[in-house]
Amino acid sequence: MAESEKEQGAEFEDEEEDTPLDKRKKIFSKELRCMMYGFGDDQNPYTESVDLLQDLVIEYITEMTKKAMDTGRPGRIQVEDIIFLIRKDPKKYSRVRELLLMNEELRKARKAFDEIKFATK
Amino acid sequence: MDIMKTPPKTTPEKSKDSPSPSGSKRKVHTPSSDSDSEKPSAKQDTPDRKRTPSGSPPEKKRKTENEEDHAHNKQKKEKQEEERLKMQVLVSNFSEEQLNRYEMYRRAAFPKAAVRRLMQSITGCTVPQNVVIAMSGIAKVFVGEVVEEALDVMEHWNETGPLQPKHLRESVRKLKSRDLITSTKSKKVLFR
Repeated sequence: MAESEKEQGAEFEDEEEDTPLDKRKKIFSKELRCMMYGFGDDQNPYTESVDLLQDLVIEYITEMTKKAMDTGRPGRIQVEDIIFLIRKDPKKYSRVRELLLMNEELRKARKAFDEIKFATK
Repeated sequence: MDIMKTPPKTTPEKSKDSPSPSGSKRKVHTPSSDSDSEKPSAKQDTPDRKRTPSGSPPEKKRKTENEEDHAHNKQKKEKQEEERLKMQVLVSNFSEEQLNRYEMYRRAAFPKAAVRRLMQSITGCTVPQNVVIAMSGIAKVFVGEVVEEALDVMEHWNETGPLQPKHLRESVRKLKSRDLITSTKSKKVLFR
């Protein structure tokens, strides 16, 4: 079962690399448009620009993921690998630290809230 | 879950009408990177204290170190408070178009499910949730860098209107030369 899933994963990867530019699935189109507007572009960015940015983002995530697979425990991805890869870039580094801290705080807050709920019942 | 979206630290580009002030705004350091630069100075102070022949016992040194840490923490918190107040004042004076843009800037994010799907299709193993969160955050900062650099390029070429792919390509080229974008496709082989 796992093998067939892995084969499907590999096939999916091959398809993504082989398909011509027209057929690249538009998985980030809506969010990318909002993001581009937020960062300073026109309210209606060109479709070609959005497509190009989507390709760039997918390539970036792919590269990072591949590199993270090699660092630390090879074959697995952990948060520390991402942080290690990002260490030279101050913006991204501080953003990741902040996101993870927020996540922790939210988790603690939710836990505390659940405990209060449990106690009051 | 607006807290999880972009924080008020990095000031976004407001409108293309005012190039110079917004250009200087964009180069603002994030406060956490500033606070990271504060820490090494605190660590450098302590070895000096140990060398001074005051004859104070180690407990007193630890107390002074703790006090210094507390002082630094207070400074950091005060700075953060100040930043937040300044942002509040700024946002309250936005025009409607600027408010719209700011809202998009804070709210836009990559869907976690899609990022997780993408990463799992590459790794073949399950990806922990933290990693997905970190990766979506990094991707957003990446988009920000490319778009801001592309806007600079467009300004430099004296063009207006929506961004065109040529601007984006030029911005990627510039960021690559600044080492902000890594590429494993062109691996240098040092020793053959």
